[in-house]
Amino acid sequence: MVSAKRKRSDDDAEDATPRKLRARARDGDDVDIPEMQTPSRKARGQPAAEAGTPKSILKKTGLLNGTNGATPRSNRKLLFETPSKSANDQTPNGSPAIVRNADRSARRKSNRKLIDRAINGVDSDDEEALDEEEALAEEILSDEEQQDTEAGAQEEIPVPDTPSKRKPGRPKGSGKRGRPRKEKERSPTPPTELPPHEEYFWQSRPGGTKTSNNTLPSQSLLNHDEYFQAMQAYQDRHEPEKEFLLELHSRAFDQWIFELEEGFNICLYGYGSKRPITEKFTARLYHHLLEQSSEKGSKKTPKIVVINGYTSGTTVKDILTTIASTVIPTNTKLPNQLTSLLAYIVDYLSENAPSQPIPVIINSIDSPYLRKGAVPSILAALAAHPSINLVCTADTPNFPLLWDVGLRSQYKFLFHDATTFAPYEAEIDVVETVNGLLGRSGRRIGGRDGVGFVLRSLPENARSLFRILVTEQLALLLMEGDNLEDDETPATPRNKKITQTKTTSESTQGVEYRVLYHKAVEEFVCSSEVGFRTLLKEFHDHQMIESRKDAMGTERLWVPFRLEELEGLAEDLSGDAL
Amino acid sequence: MEHERCYIYTPPESEGRSSKRQRTRKRDPQPQRAERLATYREIWAQQEDRIQVLSFPLFSMRMSKQYQAALEEADSATQEKIINFVAASTRAEDEPQLSIPTGLVVAGPSIASHGPFFVRLGQRIKEETNSRYAILTSGESPNLKTLLKNLITKITSRIDDDDEELGRPTTSSRKGLKLLNFDLGHVQEWQKMNRVESIVIAIQDSEAFDTGILIELIDLLFSWLDRLPLVLLFGIATSAESFEDRLSGKSLRYLEGQKFDVTQSDEIIEKLFSATIARADVRLRIGPGLSRRILDRQKDHVQNVQDFVDGLKYAYISHFYASYPTVFLQEGLAFEDLSSDVFEAVRNLPSFRRWVEGLLDDRRTHDVRKLLDSDQYLYEKIIEYMDRGQLALSMLSQAVILLTCIREALHMTPQIRLSTIWTRAISGELLGAPLLRETMLTVKKTSSDKLAHVLASLKELDSDENYVSLESFQQELNNLIENNKNSTPLRSQDDVRNESLRTTVVAQKVLLSKHKAALSEQDKAYSDLVAHFHDRLEAYFNAAFVDPRTLFLSEIFMYDLKSPHTEVFQPRPRFAIERALASPHDYLGCDCCGGDQDEATLSATLPATAVLYQLYLNAGALINVSDLWSAFNVMVGDKDAEDESKTMALFQRALAELKNLGMVKPSRKKTDHIAKAMWKGL
Repeated sequence: MVSAKRKRSDDDAEDATPRKLRARARDGDDVDIPEMQTPSRKARGQPAAEAGTPKSILKKTGLLNGTNGATPRSNRKLLFETPSKSANDQTPNGSPAIVRNADRSARRKSNRKLIDRAINGVDSDDEEALDEEEALAEEILSDEEQQDTEAGAQEEIPVPDTPSKRKPGRPKGSGKRGRPRKEKERSPTPPTELPPHEEYFWQSRPGGTKTSNNTLPSQSLLNHDEYFQAMQAYQDRHEPEKEFLLELHSRAFDQWIFELEEGFNICLYGYGSKRPITEKFTARLYHHLLEQSSEKGSKKTPKIVVINGYTSGTTVKDILTTIASTVIPTNTKLPNQLTSLLAYIVDYLSENAPSQPIPVIINSIDSPYLRKGAVPSILAALAAHPSINLVCTADTPNFPLLWDVGLRSQYKFLFHDATTFAPYEAEIDVVETVNGLLGRSGRRIGGRDGVGFVLRSLPENARSLFRILVTEQLALLLMEGDNLEDDETPATPRNKKITQTKTTSESTQGVEYRVLYHKAVEEFVCSSEVGFRTLLKEFHDHQMIESRKDAMGTERLWVPFRLEELEGLAEDLSGDAL
Repeated sequence: MEHERCYIYTPPESEGRSSKRQRTRKRDPQPQRAERLATYREIWAQQEDRIQVLSFPLFSMRMSKQYQAALEEADSATQEKIINFVAASTRAEDEPQLSIPTGLVVAGPSIASHGPFFVRLGQRIKEETNSRYAILTSGESPNLKTLLKNLITKITSRIDDDDEELGRPTTSSRKGLKLLNFDLGHVQEWQKMNRVESIVIAIQDSEAFDTGILIELIDLLFSWLDRLPLVLLFGIATSAESFEDRLSGKSLRYLEGQKFDVTQSDEIIEKLFSATIARADVRLRIGPGLSRRILDRQKDHVQNVQDFVDGLKYAYISHFYASYPTVFLQEGLAFEDLSSDVFEAVRNLPSFRRWVEGLLDDRRTHDVRKLLDSDQYLYEKIIEYMDRGQLALSMLSQAVILLTCIREALHMTPQIRLSTIWTRAISGELLGAPLLRETMLTVKKTSSDKLAHVLASLKELDSDENYVSLESFQQELNNLIENNKNSTPLRSQDDVRNESLRTTVVAQKVLLSKHKAALSEQDKAYSDLVAHFHDRLEAYFNAAFVDPRTLFLSEIFMYDLKSPHTEVFQPRPRFAIERALASPHDYLGCDCCGGDQDEATLSATLPATAVLYQLYLNAGALINVSDLWSAFNVMVGDKDAEDESKTMALFQRALAELKNLGMVKPSRKKTDHIAKAMWKGL
C-alpha cells in the first residue's frame, strides 16, 4: 500500500509541466471563488498543516475525504488498490516503464484539459475545440480502470500554492471525476442503429461534429463546358432498367386518362425527372383527344397546355394567359390583374364550357417559382374547375406541405408514384447549384479573370469602388479569422464575447452598404448616392457582387469569392494588373 | 421546349403514325373495358344522385344548374335562417340604427368546406333578397386599406363596366373632389344608384384575421351605418364565445349578433355514408377495410365531404377498371356477350375456390366438374349467386339499420354511429359481439312505453323486409296498454325492477338470492310479447349477420382493396424518394446492385446519387464536401486517375440533385461545408 503511494508521487515529480499546471489551477480557483463557501470550517484547518508537500497529497485528500466527504472509506481503498494492479496489467511487454510513463503523461495532459475545461466553464463552442483532445483522453482513460482516473484527478488538482485555495479545488476535482465516467458512456464511436430522430439529436449535439479542414481545390470543380463534355461521354449502366421503368409507367397512361375524364387531377411524385413521362403522356393524351374529336367529326386539334415550372421566372400570369389563349378568342381583351384574370377565365369556362376539358401539364409544380404567395391557391382554383384537367409533377419530398386541406380538396389530386431515376437535365443547372452550395457563385463570371475582364471595361472609379469593397471584405474576413484563433486559447471572461462575435459575424457576411458608400465618398470615387448606385448596378449586372438584408434590416454587399481568391483579387486590383 | 415556360403542345410530325400502329398491334389487355366502364358510370350515377339529394356544398361547383335546388338541402335550414336574418335586417330609410346586424356563422373546424358554404350562401342571398354580397378572406386582407379596396371592388365592380365609367367621374366631379380608392364613399355612390336593401359583407375566416383589422373594420363600418345598409356575417371555426373574446367591448357594442350553427361535416359524412355505402339497395359494396380507412381518414385528417365522395368514387373506378369479372355487375347481361376469359377469371377467384372446396366436401363432384368445364353452367350459377350475394348484403345492411334504430329508440349509451356498426357488421364480427348482446338484453328488459316507441320508429323505417310482423306486435301491444289500468307502464319479467336482491346470513356466510316479484297478469302477457319479439329479432339478426367475405363472388360485389386507394390519396412521397435512393434495386430491379437485402451495402454500380446519398446518411450534420468527394471518388471513380472529370461530373450532378431535393443546404460555418437537412425515415 505504501509503495503504491510512493510510486504515485514519483510520477508526480516526473510530470513535465508542474508550474504551468499550478498556475492554471490557481487561475481557475480565482475565478471560482464565489463557489467556495460550502466546505465546513473543520475541514479547512487540516489541510493547511500539510500544505506545500506534494508527496502527501494522497494522504491529505484522503483525510479530506474523511472529514467532509460522504463516502471516505471506499474511496480510499480504491486509491490504494488500483494503481498497482493496473501497473501490473499494463506491463506485459518488454518496455514497461516507457509505455507506462508515456501513458501517464498523456493521461495527465488529458486530465489537465478536463480540469481546465471544468474550471473555465463548459461552453458549447469551447467544447468543439476541445473535443479532439477529449476523445484522445477518453481513449487513454478508458484503457485504465475507472478508479485510476479518479486517483489521477485527485493527484493533479491539489497542487496550489496556498492550502486554503486548494481545498475548494477538491470538490471540483470530484466533480470532474464524474465527468470522464459520463464521457466514457458517450463513446467517441458513433452509435449505430439509432432511430432517425435520435440520430438527429446525436448529430446535432453541441460540438458533436468533427470534420476535417480539407477544401476542394478550386480547379477540381467542373465548369459548364467541362461538365457537359464529361456527361456526354458518360454511359449509364442502368439505361435499360430506366427504360423499363418508363415503359412500366406508360402502361398506366390509359388509366390516367380515364381518371382525368372522371374529373380527378393527377400528381406524379418520386425520385428522378418526370419530364420524360409527362412528355410521353402528353403525346398519348394528344392522340387520344384527337381520336375523340375526330369521332365527333370536329376538325379542331386538341390544345394541351404545357408549363415548365422549373424554368426560372415562370409566373402565374404566364400560365393564365397561356390557358386563356386556348379557349378565349384572341381578339378579346384580357383583364390585367391576376385575380380578375383568373375570375374571367373561370367564368368564361363555366359559361362556354369546351367540349373536352383543357389538359394542363405542369412540370415541377413545387418549384420555387410556383410556391410563393397566391400561386398555389390560384392554381387550385383553376384545377377545381371541371373544364380543366391538371397533370402535374412534384420533385421535392415534402411537397404535400404546400397545400392545406382547403387547397388539397380543390386540387382533387390522385397521386401516383412515378419514380424514373432519370437525371434532372432541364430542371437543375448542376454546375450553378453546386457552386451556389459551396459559396463559390463567383465562378459564374469566370473567376478572377472574369472579374478582371469586366473591370477593365469599366471606368477608373468603378475599379476603385470594387477595390474598396474587396479590401473591406478581406479586412472583415481576417478579423473574423483572428477571433477564431483567439478562441483556441480561451479565457473565461472573454469566452462569451467571442462566441457572440462569432455568431454575429456569421449572419453579417459582407460590408454594410452605408459603410461602403462613405468609404467611396471619402476616396472621391463618387459624389452622390445616385452615382454610387449606378456603379453598383454594373457589378450587379455582371453578378460580381451579391447583396442581402441581414437580420437588422441593413443591406450588406459582398463579392462572392472565397478568401484566397479575394486575396488574389485584391493583389490584382492594387497592382496595375488591371 | 424544355426551357420554355409555357407552351401549347404540338406533336412531332413523325411520331403520329408509329403510335397508332402500336395500338393495333397490341392485343387488348383490358377486355370489355368499355362495358365495365359503362356499368361503372351507371352505378356511380345512382350514387351521385343520392349524394346530390343529400346535397353537400362542394359539388355545387361541378353541378349543372338543374341540381342546384336539390343540392342545398343539407344546410338549407341554416341558410334559410341566415337569409331570413338578412331580410329582417333591412329597415326603413330614416330609422336610426344603433348597431350593425351581425350573423355569427359557426361553421365548424373543417375549413375546407367554409369557402363553398359562403359561396352558396351568397348565391341564395342574391337570389332571394335584394342585396349585395361580398366575401372577404384573410388572405386578401393584410391591412385595412387593402381590405377596403377589395371590398369596394367586390361590391361595385360586378355592375357593367360602361355604367361604372359613365357614372363615377360625373359624381365625383360634381362634388369637386376625387375619392381615394379605399373610400367607402364609392359604395355610397353605388348604393345611390342601385338602391339595394342591404349590403352583406361575409368575413369568411374570422379567426385568421388580425384582431386589430377586425376592430378597425367594425368601427369604420359602424360609422357608415347611417348611410349604408350593412349586414355582417362572420365565419367562425371555433366558437362564438372565443370570437367575442377577441373583440373589445366597444366594438362589440356596435354589433348585434345572432348565432347560426352550420351542420358539421361529420354529420354530413354520416348521412352520406348511410346513403351510399350502408344502403340496402347498392350493387357494389365497399368492404370493411376500405370503409374503415375512409372513415378514419375523415376523422383524423381531412373532415371534408368532397374528399369522402372522391374516395368512394375512386374505389368504384378502380374496381371496375381493374377487374374483369366486374362485368357481371351489369344488369341484363347475356351469356353471348361474354368471352370465355371472364369465366376463367371467375374460376381463379379465391371465393370460387372456397366454394368448390365446400362442394367437394359435400361430395358433389359432378357439380364441380360441370362448373369447371361448362361456361354456360358457370354463367347460370354466377347469375344465381350474384343475386343471392346481393340479397345477403342488403339484408345485412337492413339489419344494421334496424339495430341502429333500436339502439337510438332505446336511448342506449354509448351512442354508436351507423357507420361504425355497419363496418363491424360487414367485417363479420357483429354476431356474438357484446354490442349486439347488450342491445338484445336491453330489448328484453324494455317496458311497454319504450317498446311502443321502438315499434313506432321501426315502422318509420318502412323497409320491405318482413323480418318481424310489426303490425301484429303493435296491435297486441296496444291492446295490452289499453287494458293496463295502472299509470306505470308494463314491465317484462326480465326488468331489473321486478327483481329484488335478498341477503341472508347462514352459518356466517352471506347468501345472495334473486327473487322475482310477483307479476301481474298483464305483465305476464307483456313479458310473453317481449320475449317473442326478442326471439324473432334474434333469429333475424342471426340470419342477417353473415360474414360477406365468405360468400361466393364476394370479390365482385364487394370492393375491399387497400392498395391503390391508400397510395393515391395518402401518398408518402418522402418515403418513396428515400427508398429510391437507399435501395434503388427496389425500383430498377437490376442484376448488378442490391441483390442481397442488406441496405447499408454500397457498391460502385449504384446510381451516383444513391451512392452519394449513402455517404450522406453516414455523415454528421455538417459535411465536408472535399472529404465527401474523396469518398465518392474511391467508390465510383475508375482506379486509373486520369479520368477524374467524369466522376466529378457525376459527383456534381448527384450533389446538385440532393440540393434540389432539399437534403443539403449551404453552410457558412466552415469553408466547403454543407449542412444536412433531412434525416432518413422520419
